[in-house]
Parts: sequence; C-alpha cells; structure tokens
Amino acid sequence: MSGEIQNDSLAEKKWLNALANGDATALGGLYELYGERIFRYAYRMLGNRSDAEDATAETFLRVLRRSGELRADGAFRTWLFRITRNLCIDKMRQHKLLDLPGDATVSGGEDRTTLRVTIQQALSELPIEYRDPLILCDLEDISAKEAAEVLKISVPALKSRLYRGRRALRDKLGGSLEKVQ
Amino acid sequence: MSHETYRKLVDLYAGDELPTELKEELELAATRDPDLRADMTSLKHTVDLVKQHDPVSFTEESFQRILMKLYTHGVPAETRAPLDPHWQYRLPLSG
Repeated sequence: MSGEIQNDSLAEKKWLNALANGDATALGGLYELYGERIFRYAYRMLGNRSDAEDATAETFLRVLRRSGELRADGAFRTWLFRITRNLCIDKMRQHKLLDLPGDATVSGGEDRTTLRVTIQQALSELPIEYRDPLILCDLEDISAKEAAEVLKISVPALKSRLYRGRRALRDKLGGSLEKVQ
Repeated sequence: MSHETYRKLVDLYAGDELPTELKEELELAATRDPDLRADMTSLKHTVDLVKQHDPVSFTEESFQRILMKLYTHGVPAETRAPLDPHWQYRLPLSG
C-alpha cells in the first residue's frame, strides 16, 4: 500500500512538472491518476453520473489553467478535492434552482441496489457540512487531517461534523437500518 | 467512568477509534445499560454500512466521456492506452 502511495506521488510529481513546463498532454496522466477518485467523490456529492462527469472534467480543466502555480508538494490532491467540492456545491445550487432529479437506478442486485439508493438518498438529504466529512472520511477513506485541509477547517471541527453527520445519517436511515440488521 | 463519559465515547467506538481496553470497558458498560447499547449498536451499524457502501463504478464510458469533454476544450490530454474500437471485447488473434 505504501509502495502504491509512493508510486502515485512520483507519478504526480512527474506529471505536475511536465504541466508546469507547458506540456498540456501531461493532464492525461493526472487524469489517469486521480480521475476515478475525483469522479467518485463528485458522484457522491451530486448523486448523478452526468453532473459528476462534468464536475470531473471541469476539475481537470482548472488544473490546466493553474498549471503554472501547482507544485508536487503533497498538497495537490487536497487542492484537487477542494476544487471538485466547490464545483459540486455550485452544481447543487443550480439543482436547487432547477430541482433536477438524481440517478434513479444503479447497478447491482435488487436488495443491494435499494440499499445503495437509500444510502445515497439519505446522504444527499444531509446538510453539506455533515455530508462532506462523511464522504471524505467514511467513503473515500481520506485521513481526518487531509479531509480537514480539503474543507479548510480544523481536525477537531472535522471530527465533530463527522460524528454529528453519522448520527444524522442513522436517524435518516431509520427503518432501512433495521431491515439490514 | 461516568455514564456521561461512556456516552461521549460512542462516536469513537462507532468509528473504530477506541483503544482495545477502552472498547472492552465500554462494551461491558453497555451490558448494564440498554440505551447505551442501542446507541452503540445502531451507530456502529450505520458507519459499517456506509463504509461498505458499494463504490460508485467509474465505467469506461464515463472515463471516455470526461476525456472527450477535455478534448472539446482543446486539451490534448493523452492517456496511457488507446481503447479498442469496440470497448467490451478484445478479440483474440487467430493463428
């Protein structure tokens, strides 16, 4: 696992340096490295594939626009998640105005699908300050320290929101939780 | 340890953040307190459920659509392996 992280960080450094030197094709390398995580994060924030694809593409376009300022100092991934988060919040505001629905179905067995939809629905109903830490820490398995950096809050504040979010999610899941116990 | 302190430890218990000794002490306390036990069980179950929540699938179609969006903005992003014209199957060479 640590070898994987080291390889990722070496690859990140290589692509960022190439971008900084004006090689726009290096964006493809960064997209291969982080595209999936960014897409998953956006999907969980937004609840539908189409918007998540838009947010992911826009995130990488911003990487290109800021390529001269980016440094491979370990903060790039945090910055990437923060950009995606801001784009997702913008999209959520648009959805609030337009009242667009999320994806109704996801692949999998019927029970699992129902559970996934129920969890996704419950997540999407949580206030953003609770949803963010839950997605980053419990779903994306990002450390509390890094999640706090993405959200620009302290670690104790992050944990407080995470704990409250878990309790709020439990309350929302209510009956569904009993069924799968 | 007081009842109130045990209550405060439930969040840490649910996230598997408690050291073993404290976890065992809390579980013992829960055998004497049904409310505490219910709180611990349901919260832990919620966290486990969320952590096991199936990952969102990043399909080949999504990968390509995002890449296309980058291309349409004039980004010459290249990925490591070009796709077969038919994504699903790589046909074996005969011979």
